[in-house]
Amino acid sequence: MAQPEHLLYSKDHEWVAVEGDVATVGITDYAQVSLGDIVYVELPKVGATIDQFAAVGVIESVKAVSDLFTPLSGEVLEVNAALDADPAAVNRDPLGAGWMMKLRLRDPGETAGLLAYEDYAKLTTD
Amino acid sequence: MTVAPVHKRTALYEQHLRAGARLVPFGGFEMPVQYAGILKEHDAVRHRAGLFDLSHMGQFLLHGDDVAAWADRLTINAVATMKPLQARYNIFCNEHGGAHDDTIFYRLDGRWMLVVNASNADKMWAYLNAHRAGDVRLENLHGDRALVAIQGPKSVAMLQPHVDLDLASMRYYFCAEGTVDGVPAIVARTGYTGEDGFELFVDGDRAAAIWNRLLEEHRDAGLEPCGLGARDVLRLEAGMPLYGHELTEAITPVQAGQTWALKLSKPEFIGKVALAEQLARDAYPRIVGLVMEGRVPAREGYAVRLGERVVGEVRSGSAAPSVGGKNVATALLAKEAATVGGTVEVQIRGAWHAATVTALPFYKRST
Repeated sequence: MAQPEHLLYSKDHEWVAVEGDVATVGITDYAQVSLGDIVYVELPKVGATIDQFAAVGVIESVKAVSDLFTPLSGEVLEVNAALDADPAAVNRDPLGAGWMMKLRLRDPGETAGLLAYEDYAKLTTD
Repeated sequence: MTVAPVHKRTALYEQHLRAGARLVPFGGFEMPVQYAGILKEHDAVRHRAGLFDLSHMGQFLLHGDDVAAWADRLTINAVATMKPLQARYNIFCNEHGGAHDDTIFYRLDGRWMLVVNASNADKMWAYLNAHRAGDVRLENLHGDRALVAIQGPKSVAMLQPHVDLDLASMRYYFCAEGTVDGVPAIVARTGYTGEDGFELFVDGDRAAAIWNRLLEEHRDAGLEPCGLGARDVLRLEAGMPLYGHELTEAITPVQAGQTWALKLSKPEFIGKVALAEQLARDAYPRIVGLVMEGRVPAREGYAVRLGERVVGEVRSGSAAPSVGGKNVATALLAKEAATVGGTVEVQIRGAWHAATVTALPFYKRST
């Protein structure tokens, strides 16, 4: 599981771990708590090109339908297919087994539009 | 100047805050939608017991010699035939047969109690007053008296030590006046979860003490505080209509499958002519159950088609733990599509997903 201090965050409550030109994306613990029990996750197609902050998927809890936004632009390399059978992994382990997709980044400079851990923590405690 | 919407708080508001509940505006009140999580709370009610704050619901007392005859002219089910201490589901309809509200009447000693939906409480209070006739006096307890429900198979065992009534001998949809932890209460064997359980009507000032004591003494045995989220899943599985979804001013009790509560033998009541005609012609769109074949949940408002033709829409939808974890829904469908066992398709984000038409309820308790 990723260390929360080492991740970047969007204001839409996604986290991203960047290694070279590949980024792993998921939703934060704050997001999974807010959503409640997650029952279905719809992720973009592998090979799709997606733009920063666009809605690229759907996360459904028992009561609500929410969008998944991508924190960075790029090509979808892989999605977490295990979430199809076990969407509750997002609740149990949002930063680990509950990851959602890996991207080949189009522009690593876009990370300037994301938040560091401390700023994200402030956002969610206000 | 802007005026923020003001939501009232129930007598148990502080308890909800302390328990870390997530609060949402509902029916004019700030109500807990969940505490530990909808699935955990749902599981508690199906297998142990859950505790609900339903103090947002409208509570009216009806006094006077003419209450039964008067109420029989405003509702579709029979009121005058109720036995002492009986509770009965009933629906107030408009002239077209659509539902003003679905309610429960309680025949108490020397007076009646009417419980209405929170979202309809103001409308129903105005409606009842506008239609007042003969020896009928109305008293509005909405927001003053609390309503706490304990629901689940362990309800009798958990509640019995707190009350001076013999709960095991109380029949389903009956009630009694007694005390809960020494506090005067109306205790009714009613609920909205598909499980056995009780509803406790107590003075708002005394509700927190009862709530806290029940939780303290029975938490180890599995009693969980439950929010409106779990309640909605429980009632949907149990096939119970929710006003605004399966029943509205436009969706009649006949369409909603509540014909069992329609007493056409009563001489005259508002909506009777329209409902009798609708029932006789049998051509109306009707509420059915849907079980989704795939993993994608259906939600309120989604279109439903049979072949190439749109035949209706989803009215409620949820994942249903007591229906094998499948996604279930209610839908208002044209008659030709409302065949149990038939297959229809639900439009979800542009794609059509297969669903099986099912009789309601989805879930029935075994005992």
